Amino acid sequence: MMVHKVLVANRGEIAVRIIRSCKQLGIETVAVYSKADADALHVQLADEAICIGEVPAKSSYLHMENILSAAINTGAEAIHPGYGFLSENAKFAKLCEECGITFIAPSAQVIEKMGDKAEAKKLMKEAGVPLVPGSADEVTLSEGKSILKEIGLPVLIKASAGGGGRGMRVVRNADDFEKAFYAAKQEAKAAFGDDGVYIEKLIENPKHVEVQILADKYGNVVHLGERDCSIQRRNQKVVEEAPSTLPQQTRDAMYEAAVKAARHVGYENAGTVEFIVKDDEFFFIEMNTRIQVEHPISEMITDIDIVQEQIRIASGEKLSFTQDDVQFRGHAIEVRLNAEDPKHDFRPSPGRIEVLHIPQGLGIRFDTFLYTDYEIPPYYDSMVGKLIAHGKTRQEAIRKMRAALEELVIEGVGTNQMFLHMIMLQETFEQGDVDTSYIQANLKRLLHYET
Amino acid sequence: MKREQLKEAFERKKRFKNQLKTYRQKPESAKTPDVPKGLYEKCKECKTTVVVEDLIKNRFVCPNCDNHFRVRAVDRIGITVDEDSFVEKGLGYITLNPLFQDHYEQKISEYKKKTNLDEAYVYGYAEIKRHPCVIGVLDSYFMMGSMGSVVGEKVVKSVEYAMVKRLPLIMFIASGGARMQEGIYSLMQMAKTSGAIQKLNEQGLLYISVLTHPTTGGVSASFASLGDIILAEPKALIGFAGPRVIKQTIKQSLPEGFQTAEFLQDKGMVDKVVHRHEMQETLSKLLSMHEKGGRA
Repeated sequence: MMVHKVLVANRGEIAVRIIRSCKQLGIETVAVYSKADADALHVQLADEAICIGEVPAKSSYLHMENILSAAINTGAEAIHPGYGFLSENAKFAKLCEECGITFIAPSAQVIEKMGDKAEAKKLMKEAGVPLVPGSADEVTLSEGKSILKEIGLPVLIKASAGGGGRGMRVVRNADDFEKAFYAAKQEAKAAFGDDGVYIEKLIENPKHVEVQILADKYGNVVHLGERDCSIQRRNQKVVEEAPSTLPQQTRDAMYEAAVKAARHVGYENAGTVEFIVKDDEFFFIEMNTRIQVEHPISEMITDIDIVQEQIRIASGEKLSFTQDDVQFRGHAIEVRLNAEDPKHDFRPSPGRIEVLHIPQGLGIRFDTFLYTDYEIPPYYDSMVGKLIAHGKTRQEAIRKMRAALEELVIEGVGTNQMFLHMIMLQETFEQGDVDTSYIQANLKRLLHYET
Repeated sequence: MKREQLKEAFERKKRFKNQLKTYRQKPESAKTPDVPKGLYEKCKECKTTVVVEDLIKNRFVCPNCDNHFRVRAVDRIGITVDEDSFVEKGLGYITLNPLFQDHYEQKISEYKKKTNLDEAYVYGYAEIKRHPCVIGVLDSYFMMGSMGSVVGEKVVKSVEYAMVKRLPLIMFIASGGARMQEGIYSLMQMAKTSGAIQKLNEQGLLYISVLTHPTTGGVSASFASLGDIILAEPKALIGFAGPRVIKQTIKQSLPEGFQTAEFLQDKGMVDKVVHRHEMQETLSKLLSMHEKGGRA
């Protein structure tokens, strides 16, 4: 029996996207909003809307008690968290469970396990998913040296308690290893109070490729192909495409690993297994237990509405198709439109939308929450929409994207539209010759346009 | 305004949709969400709801406004002493009804069921960061931690136990005072407990009393105020008669913060106000200073 009312605990483009899918399924929707979002599109579109608090996300979209109260008062049976905010919050998942509300995501235990990097890696190793070569645990100097011999240069020394680049050292020359080892240890001790370090092979300028997974509670797991999200700026994805340009053999191995990973952790609902790829070798980095921003490109090439499937799975239904039913057709590209100014170090540029013209046509999709006269609040994410183009071939998709970007008009706020257009026009992009360093390496050329 | 026009248009559409008879009705099988009891606790100070699990992790202090929640004796022992070090003593006392008050026995048996305690006072042997001591705790959930014959007797027993074992005594107070239902017998406990503390003093043993919210009435007028060292929790109400009664009796307005732990620290009645997060550390330091060969 399908849920009859879903609360969407998010804002912006994804809230609109989820509400649309709910309507198509005949499900009632409840939107929640902060005081800054009273005019937002998701509030107008939903059947009911409830204000859940003040402007800062901490007291609205991240406020678990307020969101739960909203769900209970409106009689919503399920909560869809979207991405960001509470989407990968094991505690919130547990609270929902305890209140008898379906959280449209994997179970709290799976979210927790996958959120803990060390635990996730351990599980993946058990499942036989390839990891970046290196030490499994903290190492001493002599152990480190023997591992170094095994995996070869260059290596990365990382603090086990760490994050954010602190306590991290790159070693390119075997003679520097000892020095770097102690330096990393010292830095880790100072920053985290724990001098444990581990060693990993440094994968320089890899491609970032991820596999979309769908799993129901009866153990059926299918993949919806992969997405190449290599074009990133400061670890933020900018352009995504599906499928990737990798050889078929690598892609098949990747699908197999992703499905194996999902099976091993008892995964349920939609998820993404992220890999880094270098020279057709791939390594697991993390698993995202939520819907991804870039999910539409997988939808375009498979004709499967991932949000609808999420709701069906959460309602306890069996997957209605098998892996063999999933047909891949054509190529899809997505670009993320942000209200930001690329020429001034991508600083945010919120404001009022004066004119909006959305391109249309076969295979063009624009997921957004913008409308004419809407004022973008400056308090949240700067992404305002996702433009998706779908063609028979990669070449056709790129051409369609170029045409769509040519047509798209957003007046009133600064956007990165021209910057995205520049990427689409690059010969190197057309050849598929991209990795995670692409924007950094070509920044000057990409910013060379007249506004 | 275009924005208003759009809003109106959507409102019209919603009205249209609500008219439709075919519009999906709530199925009978639909679950109704419900918050189970004991998942949340509301903070009396800042009125936010706190997940009980978080509250326990934060030692029953509100993560939002630092308000110290009232703590049951079991939890107090749990957050104060080393794990598995507590051994309860003085079990098996039975509360009688010496003045034949109506419904008193019934009330007591209700509290026993509710709190899983025999009486409002629990004591025993414990270690705080490996320093041995005798710890006694009044539970304000049991008839407001009021002192009747059994509580008085158990307090004296805990003092005597400390004397026999030559151990320091720590008491956590949370009480509304002497128990009305036992009348004069309750009042006699004040003298009895004070006498016991005097004996402890003569033997040169350490007695630390920790005043928590609330410490009032006959308890504050006897053993609670006799500590060699008197600690208190932030914002705890400490006094004999309540502020309203005093105001009505002396017909004067009371100073700000009257009868709070901080006020009494200023006036020299309380030695130190200690945050609950630092209580264990403070107690272990005090114990180590007063131990044989202890370090100052």
